[in-house]
Amino acid sequence: MTTLLEARRVSKIFGGGLFEKETTVALDDFSIRIDNDPPVITAVVGESGSGKTTLARVLLGETEPTQGEVRYLGKDLRSLSRDERQSFRRDVQVIFQDPYEVYNPFYRIDHVLTTPLTKFGLAKSRGHARELMTEALQAVGLRPEETLGRYPHQLSGGQRQRVMVARALLVRPRLIIADEPVSMVDASLRATILDSLQSLTREFGVSLIYITHDLITAFQISDNIIVLYRGSVAEAGRAEPVVQQPEHPYSRLLVGSIPQPDPDRVWSAEQPASAVGRGANPAVGCKFAPRCPFAMEMCLENHPPLFQTDDHRVAACYLYRDAPTLPEGPIDQVFVKPAIDLRAPAD
Amino acid sequence: MVAVASRRPSRASIGRVPRAIRAYPMLATGLALILAIVLMSVIGPYFVERDGVNVGYALPDQRPSREYLLGTDTVGRQMLAIIIYGTPLTLKVGLIAGAIGLAIGMVFGLVSGYYGGIWDHVLRGAADAFLTVPGLLVLVVIATTLRGGISVTTQALVVSALAWMYPTRTIRSQVLSMRERGYVRLGRFSGMNGFEIIVKELIPNLLPYLAASFVGAVSAGILASIGLEALGLGPQNEPTLGMTIYWSMYYTSMLRNLWWWWVPPIIIIVIIFTGLFLISAGLDQVANPRLRRQT
Amino acid sequence: MTDAETRPATSAPWNSRESATSAPRDTVLDVRDLHVYYHTSRGPAKAVNGVSFTLARGEVLGLVGESGSGKSTIALSLLRLIKPPGRIERGQLFLDGRDLMTLSEEAMRRVRLGEIAMVAQGAMNSLNPVMRIRDQIIDAWVDHGISTHRSEIDDRIAELMRRVGLRPEDAHSFPHELSGGMKQRAVIAIAISLRPKVIIADEPTSALDVVVQRQIMETLSRVKEELGAAVILIGHDMGLMAQSVDRLGVMYAGELAELSPMRDIFKDPMHPYSRLLIASLPSLERKGSRRGIPGLPPSLLDPPAGCPFHPRCPSVMDRCRVQRPPLELKREDRLVACHLFEERP
Repeated sequence: MTTLLEARRVSKIFGGGLFEKETTVALDDFSIRIDNDPPVITAVVGESGSGKTTLARVLLGETEPTQGEVRYLGKDLRSLSRDERQSFRRDVQVIFQDPYEVYNPFYRIDHVLTTPLTKFGLAKSRGHARELMTEALQAVGLRPEETLGRYPHQLSGGQRQRVMVARALLVRPRLIIADEPVSMVDASLRATILDSLQSLTREFGVSLIYITHDLITAFQISDNIIVLYRGSVAEAGRAEPVVQQPEHPYSRLLVGSIPQPDPDRVWSAEQPASAVGRGANPAVGCKFAPRCPFAMEMCLENHPPLFQTDDHRVAACYLYRDAPTLPEGPIDQVFVKPAIDLRAPAD
Repeated sequence: MVAVASRRPSRASIGRVPRAIRAYPMLATGLALILAIVLMSVIGPYFVERDGVNVGYALPDQRPSREYLLGTDTVGRQMLAIIIYGTPLTLKVGLIAGAIGLAIGMVFGLVSGYYGGIWDHVLRGAADAFLTVPGLLVLVVIATTLRGGISVTTQALVVSALAWMYPTRTIRSQVLSMRERGYVRLGRFSGMNGFEIIVKELIPNLLPYLAASFVGAVSAGILASIGLEALGLGPQNEPTLGMTIYWSMYYTSMLRNLWWWWVPPIIIIVIIFTGLFLISAGLDQVANPRLRRQT
Repeated sequence: MTDAETRPATSAPWNSRESATSAPRDTVLDVRDLHVYYHTSRGPAKAVNGVSFTLARGEVLGLVGESGSGKSTIALSLLRLIKPPGRIERGQLFLDGRDLMTLSEEAMRRVRLGEIAMVAQGAMNSLNPVMRIRDQIIDAWVDHGISTHRSEIDDRIAELMRRVGLRPEDAHSFPHELSGGMKQRAVIAIAISLRPKVIIADEPTSALDVVVQRQIMETLSRVKEELGAAVILIGHDMGLMAQSVDRLGVMYAGELAELSPMRDIFKDPMHPYSRLLIASLPSLERKGSRRGIPGLPPSLLDPPAGCPFHPRCPSVMDRCRVQRPPLELKREDRLVACHLFEERP
């Protein structure tokens, strides 16, 4: 079976045109294969400048990679025919960060639900469409009678984002890419919305890529986590160990900086970079070296490859140079499949 | 859009009109003024004969009287008839210029704004180039060349040639700011192609700008036509407002104190432009909720 | 007023009750019975419905709650920046003994920034984009009638920059030339430029990354120490509160449900809302079912009778539906508004 969506050695570089001397490498040689059999939830965690948003845009086909390619069912996104493109749009859905901007104020919220149903030909009649919409809204915990027919400003941010989740599932995609889906939603609702996203994607056999800066929620709902730093993978693997025993110095910094709601677990200050690290040139070698308390000479020469420290873990750090390097290829080689298959039996 | 969230369905539509008027007084006043002018043009002919605009209809240079409410001019035409039958001609020019200006402006603006790239370079370049052209000069040249057979419609078309640039630029800049909005991005993921996004997602939110561009083009059209006519380059035999002013100057009506000749057309012109300006300012309020009056 | 709304006489005055149990507090701010209503066409929305608390010099007080709980409104009230249709209905705001409610607008302007400064949510985006940072600081000084010799200005600005962890040359930058964290530091610099007694920080780190957030909070803490100022930290991130505050006030529907030392609230929450809140916090230890608090936050236009939390409270009693519980001292240093607990005699 051909892989649903695949990124092969994708890099995205901004700038460097005729008038711009400075280039920014937003994404650096990233490869991944995503399928939905079984459905897997992968979190991509990073701070601003990590490249996570660029990754989303590249996977969704909104931006073209500078190097490498993104393939849908084996075909490069840039060379899809019109029908193939429609199919791609249906199979790969998205949930955006901003629950306000994503609604056209001119229309009622029904518009965001009816449009994909119509364009993808999923409803046989008006009645059928209404049925599908009602089902989808109920699945995310909304009451259709209180939601349909309303204008966006009449719903709260949390409700609007739930409608977005309903919309993403409505078309029965194979993959949903959620870009910071709850960061603009009230804190008290985040857990509920993420929970429903997690259970629904498992139930409907949809894989999920959850892009966020919040390690805690990433840990809570994902099977696997990828930690990005300045466009490169710092660490990746099964969610629990990555978060509880982080290996890469950046992951450790990240986990240590999280304010935990426990007065006994004090957040830790960033340790100063080692003497070697302070003299590092970020353009060559490991990107984290200038901040790394463990930086060594070898870190300045070449960017570290991904060392596989465990069946389900890689870290791009010379601290682990005794471990074998990951064979050339996509990062998902170290991913786990979820333990339980919650998919409803096909009927 | 509506500022207050409400859970109840909207109340009876009838009650909405007076509230709308209170919320947008400028728009309401402007529309009222233009409506008055239009009404005058529509109802007037039932009270005043069209023959009144012909030369020699009545005795010349008569002051306003009960028979001739606005008096007569030096060639015996009834001023009231001229106003009533001439104003719609001016409005017609405005409408044609407005429609053409908007139509071209919309197409150019939407295409260059949404698709960008080479389309943007070509269309925007054209608009910018035309903007640098001294408008009245071009119109004068065209009008003098066509002098013999110029009709109101021809004049309208001539004037429209220079009415599309601002709409193009206005609409383009709005589209640029809307292009990256969340709902446009979402539209692409719902399977819509460029054209559908333009029509379904962008245009409904552009309505105030389209209306404002239309009003702007109408104003520009009327102004240009009056300008041409006042120079004597308009349709010679039509009683348009501009031509009336031209003839009143030709026959030195001011020096001869025939105020009923040059004052009425000016008053009508002032009313029209005030109305158009208020509509334009009112549309600004509709498009920009922050400018609205707090009710 | 219904029975539910009358406050028992025992709930005032505050300071004396608190100081009866712990060492006398050096109180810099004393808020008494603050009521702030937003008057809508459908009646008043009671954004703050009878809130009282004190703030000691050098203390960090956290105010946490869902959106709509009233915490940001309190911040604006302390600066008397509530605009119509909102209005401070009643209440007293004693700053070092002076009731701010009795001051003229002119006098209040001098209090703002001079004595109470605010670092607002998204403040880094409200820096004037066409003015250099140093000019915005100088602006504030001029506004408050502080005249400094030209020669001194550069020194004072350089010192301010160092205080907030920026380089002196950063003062010459425009906001867009600075990163998110640096902009927030610049905002803090402006806030402390007149050495205020109280700093109100409303979600000061909401748009910042986790690592930068910690750095900013550390800066804020250091600045507070150096100035001897008190801080009111407003937010919804319980984790941030646990790491940053001395005392924590939990807001619900415009009222204080609980106000206790931080450790106590996390180790042993008393009010049912606090308990549910803390139980629902996701952790890095265990994946688990994260239950939100069932039910919906109440309408501020038509709040429930009695205790505003009673419709969602797992321990609700008959009394709760009728009588509003006052915020009272139930244990040492712990103020709770709940009928479940006996008042400390």
